Amino acid sequence: MKKIEAIIQPFKLDEVKEALKGIGIDGMTITEVRGHGRQKGHKEIYRGQEYNVDLLPKVKLEMVIPSNRYEEVLKTVTAAARSGKIGDGKIFVYDVAEAVRIRNDDRGETAL
Amino acid sequence: MGSGLQAITGTARFESFLATGDALTALAERTAEVDGIVSAAASEVLLAEMPSGIAVMAVGGYGRRQLFPYSDVDLLLLVDSERGAAEHKASISAFLQRLWDSGLRISQSVRTPMECAEVHDHNAELNVSLLDQRFLTGDRALYASLAEKLPRFVQSNRDALVRNLARLSRERHAKFGNTFYHLEPNVKETPGGLRDYQLVCWLSQLRDASGGRIEAAEMAPELDQAFRYMAKLRFFLHCQSNRDNNVLSFDAQDAIAEQWNGGDTARWMRDYYRHARAIHRAAIRDLERVEAGFSSLLTQFRDWRSRLANADISVHRERAHFRTPQRLEVEPELALRLFEFTARHGVRPSFEAEQQIAARMSRLPAQFAGMDGLWRALETIFELPHAPLAVRSMHETGVLTALFPELAQIECLVVRDFYHRYTVDEHTLVAIQNLWEVAGPFRDLRSEITRPAPLLFAMLFHDSGKGNPSEGHVDGSGKLAQSAAERIRMPAPDRDLVLFLIRMHLELSSVMQSRDVFDPQTVEELARQLETVERLKLLTLVTYADISAVNPSAMSPWRAEHLWQVYMMIYNALTRELETDRISVAGAEEGAETVSPRERAEFLAGFPKRYLRTHTEAEIAAHMALEAQSRARGAAVEIRRLESAWQMTLVARDRPGLFAGAAGTLASFGMNIVKAEAFANRRGVVLDTFTFEDPMRTLDLNPSELDRLRTLAERVIAGRADVRALLRNRPKPTLPSRKAEITARVSFNSEASGTATLIEIITQDRPGLLYDLASALSSDGVNIEVVLIDTEAHKAIDVFYVTAEGKKLDEARRQRLGEALRKACGPAA
Repeated sequence: MKKIEAIIQPFKLDEVKEALKGIGIDGMTITEVRGHGRQKGHKEIYRGQEYNVDLLPKVKLEMVIPSNRYEEVLKTVTAAARSGKIGDGKIFVYDVAEAVRIRNDDRGETAL
Repeated sequence: MGSGLQAITGTARFESFLATGDALTALAERTAEVDGIVSAAASEVLLAEMPSGIAVMAVGGYGRRQLFPYSDVDLLLLVDSERGAAEHKASISAFLQRLWDSGLRISQSVRTPMECAEVHDHNAELNVSLLDQRFLTGDRALYASLAEKLPRFVQSNRDALVRNLARLSRERHAKFGNTFYHLEPNVKETPGGLRDYQLVCWLSQLRDASGGRIEAAEMAPELDQAFRYMAKLRFFLHCQSNRDNNVLSFDAQDAIAEQWNGGDTARWMRDYYRHARAIHRAAIRDLERVEAGFSSLLTQFRDWRSRLANADISVHRERAHFRTPQRLEVEPELALRLFEFTARHGVRPSFEAEQQIAARMSRLPAQFAGMDGLWRALETIFELPHAPLAVRSMHETGVLTALFPELAQIECLVVRDFYHRYTVDEHTLVAIQNLWEVAGPFRDLRSEITRPAPLLFAMLFHDSGKGNPSEGHVDGSGKLAQSAAERIRMPAPDRDLVLFLIRMHLELSSVMQSRDVFDPQTVEELARQLETVERLKLLTLVTYADISAVNPSAMSPWRAEHLWQVYMMIYNALTRELETDRISVAGAEEGAETVSPRERAEFLAGFPKRYLRTHTEAEIAAHMALEAQSRARGAAVEIRRLESAWQMTLVARDRPGLFAGAAGTLASFGMNIVKAEAFANRRGVVLDTFTFEDPMRTLDLNPSELDRLRTLAERVIAGRADVRALLRNRPKPTLPSRKAEITARVSFNSEASGTATLIEIITQDRPGLLYDLASALSSDGVNIEVVLIDTEAHKAIDVFYVTAEGKKLDEARRQRLGEALRKACGPAA
């Protein structure tokens, strides 16, 4: 099993969710986050005063999927989240040791 | 599982309940059945061992004979002494076990009569449950000793008992956001549910306990009906889910609609809210009544409030009453004056006043429809500090729908979605409340809105179209708002603004959700749609209030920050264009209502477009009036009080050093300039605005100084007084400590504008700074096109857009000016 953590632009969330739904991935956790990578922040002047916009709003999606599907999921997320500009986000992939469905103690991929 | 907890679905009792919908009979039968089981178990297991010294009592809901199928069976085992109870522990355990085995979920307590007659601050439920006690079996003499004590106990501890009960109830209400308009309410615990009905009964029992008796409470027919309705729902929910479930989920709502209401869920949920409202209002009325008696401080405050009374309205016990309610017959505007009173002082209408209005409700819509000046009356209410409370009261009394029948469609309307927690009308009222209670940087925006009435009106109607699902709600809401606004003869500019806000109310949320807000094109497009800063501010507030009213956590800090960024970017897009985008005569004729379009066009021609975007129509009209005055005297100056500062506006023929002169005049009076703007039109007329603080309160304490300042400013501007002479006499300001000192920074930017050079100066603020900077510029023959001045604590951030001989500054002049400006930033000469 793999855990996919994708940090994307908030305005791409609906598109990414739809695309994942299209390949049968429904389960995910979504968190509103702030951060910056190479996009960095920038300065906004509001009424002559500087506002540092150094942490930009992003959305983090997390999902755990069977190992044999992760390339497909990566491609789907990348294609849907891409606008081609700096700030489109990053995807991280982790190995998952175990998954347990608390309700009935299912283990492994059946618990997903 | 024994008989008590066996699924009741399919039993004869359930079938008969389904057929009649009569929960009270079903509850009484269920209670009698459990009485039988308990009494039988007691005689077999308990009383054989303990023929005296113990009595079995039913308390709580069971005591009231309102035992729902899966509710706990509340038992009180009354013992004559703790020792007796300890000695017979085994028998008591066996008795309880027998009851559990027979399928009853028992919730028991073992107490002596003494313990029952004590105030339990940490277990207030025990005291309350005894109000509904009855004897089941056992030692009757022991029970009689308690029955004799209880009324006396209640009488002498009434305040403590009431206080505990009120605290518990308020805590419970707070858990549910203090509203009964939940989409999936809990029929027991939500405000307006069975617990609140019981609260009304208990408070009445506590109030009336005297003469050795605690009487069952007599309830008004409206409440009795509401109770029967709620009991029916709860009985159904228990049977349907085969457990103690009291949540009226969407599925349960559909099932009940199917069972008794021909499948029309929306209609019968309105019945639910009507009944919940009746119970909730009674509960709140009684709670307030008892709480008012708690604090002497509150009593003093209440007495103070009674002094707010006027010729129409009196205040008694924190509520507003009509002095002569009969006048309502011929004078329906009296009802509006009551709500104006509420909006002004935050004192809600009394229940009597509400009933007096309700009694005339059938005639009100027609009377309102024919009333002159209705918008003026509403505008007054909508601009007052407690307007949201007044609107809520208008809604609760039905006056709102009498005024605007368009809103009847959203009353108690459930629109099912995952995020919304409230009905559409409650969402609207919460959104209006949010407009008055904005947080974070949005608070500043709100304080800049001088006329909130159109904003409130737009919020009131923003979701009104949801009552008609056949068309998109934004269009539907717009149509309803338009017909309402026309009927009350709202002036066209206000009406246009309202319709604009309704049409756009989802725009910023949708941009945040589906557009790249860091893409300049997105921002420019929005700036084009919004056109003015005023509209941007209003729409940002509408968006903030609307999202926050979806559910208590919908406006997360993340989302608030996101919205603020969107606001800031559009604001900058609207205000940054300068020379390149000038108003032409042809484009300036629109929007003129009070002045001739030609005069307006001539006044505006040549100002940057930014001027139109940053000023309201009323401000433009005031500026034009000032210009008319200036023609005779060469200059006209107006000074007015803002909320926390002053503002000086001047109009004059342009001449070198004019801006510096005005800034110097203010400095010579010890005023601290915090914001400034300068514009010039094609006719060479200059319009400068200075927002300044008066740190010594000179103008407040000496009203005559205001005239002197105005006259002096006019003389300086007209060149009849020398500002340098005035400044020589001014007191030296105290500078902040060296540590806090800010190094002066002067930077030039020739790219920011098409035709002007931008000079940004960040330095230590001090009185007279702006005068020194502006003087340095005008001494070099530089023309100030636009000025944006701001201060942040001791830091001044001044931005000048300047030209020399109509062009951007050349390198030599930039060098020279850089030095002169840095020097001007130093301590005052």
